Amino acid sequence: MTQPSVTLAPGSEDNALAGMLATLVRQNLDDSAEKVAVFAKMWGRVAIVATDLDTSLTLRFERGTLRLFDGIVGIPDVTVRATSEAILQLSLVELEPRFGLPDPRGENARRMIRASLHGEVQVFGLFPHLPLVLRLTRLMAVP
Amino acid sequence: MAHRFPSEEWTAAFKDAVNDNAAYRKAGAAWTHGAVAMVIAADPALGLEEPVGMILDVHGGQCRGAEYVRGMDAVAGVPFVIVAPRARWREVIEGKLDPIKGMMEGKLKLTVGHLPTMIRYVESSRQLVVSAANVPTEFVE
Repeated sequence: MTQPSVTLAPGSEDNALAGMLATLVRQNLDDSAEKVAVFAKMWGRVAIVATDLDTSLTLRFERGTLRLFDGIVGIPDVTVRATSEAILQLSLVELEPRFGLPDPRGENARRMIRASLHGEVQVFGLFPHLPLVLRLTRLMAVP
Repeated sequence: MAHRFPSEEWTAAFKDAVNDNAAYRKAGAAWTHGAVAMVIAADPALGLEEPVGMILDVHGGQCRGAEYVRGMDAVAGVPFVIVAPRARWREVIEGKLDPIKGMMEGKLKLTVGHLPTMIRYVESSRQLVVSAANVPTEFVE
């Protein structure tokens, strides 16, 4: 397996959210061989739009490599539109231990469901790209 | 009596405010990851010739000590260091800026520390801010 690589694309250095997510992914990969294995399977583009920060970024996964871009670059497979609070909550969603899927019994998972129902979180492309979304959740999770 | 921010007096009052905050005791009960430094970036225009900071020795929902320090060398070895200009800290203390959201916007920078841990204890961070808001504070411009 090649060494995981997480880099900011030129021009994205001033996007604080991109920098923060890059740090989060790097430190999660340093901590967990399980996350490294998940990361190695990820392929696709995920756009994140922080609706209250007027900020967007694109994560381009290429099996063990992640490059973060300022703004929306290319055609995203998945687009997440959410408040900064909800983006943070994505990292706190409890995962059930067996398959690493979001555990709807968890307090933060329930909070995310409520946020989705209230339109605070919108995920476009979820069903066609469900494996990518689930892996993203596992990669970002901090519990 | 209001305490000038930043200062030794404010730092001591902050420690007391943290320990008086029951919500912090609960949210930070599992925190065993070491001290947190809040650093105000140097700004000669404001009379801050070098960075100053507060090192909070937080552990298990308690603030065991708080030290007012000068210069970045003083925070070397502190596990978590957050740096921002004084105006940003003022917004945080006045409850106008959520600290984690501030980091997402680049207004506050976690220059040292394990971000996943910081996120895991997001409520603890918020309660530190609530504690700070309870300190009678004087901002001298």
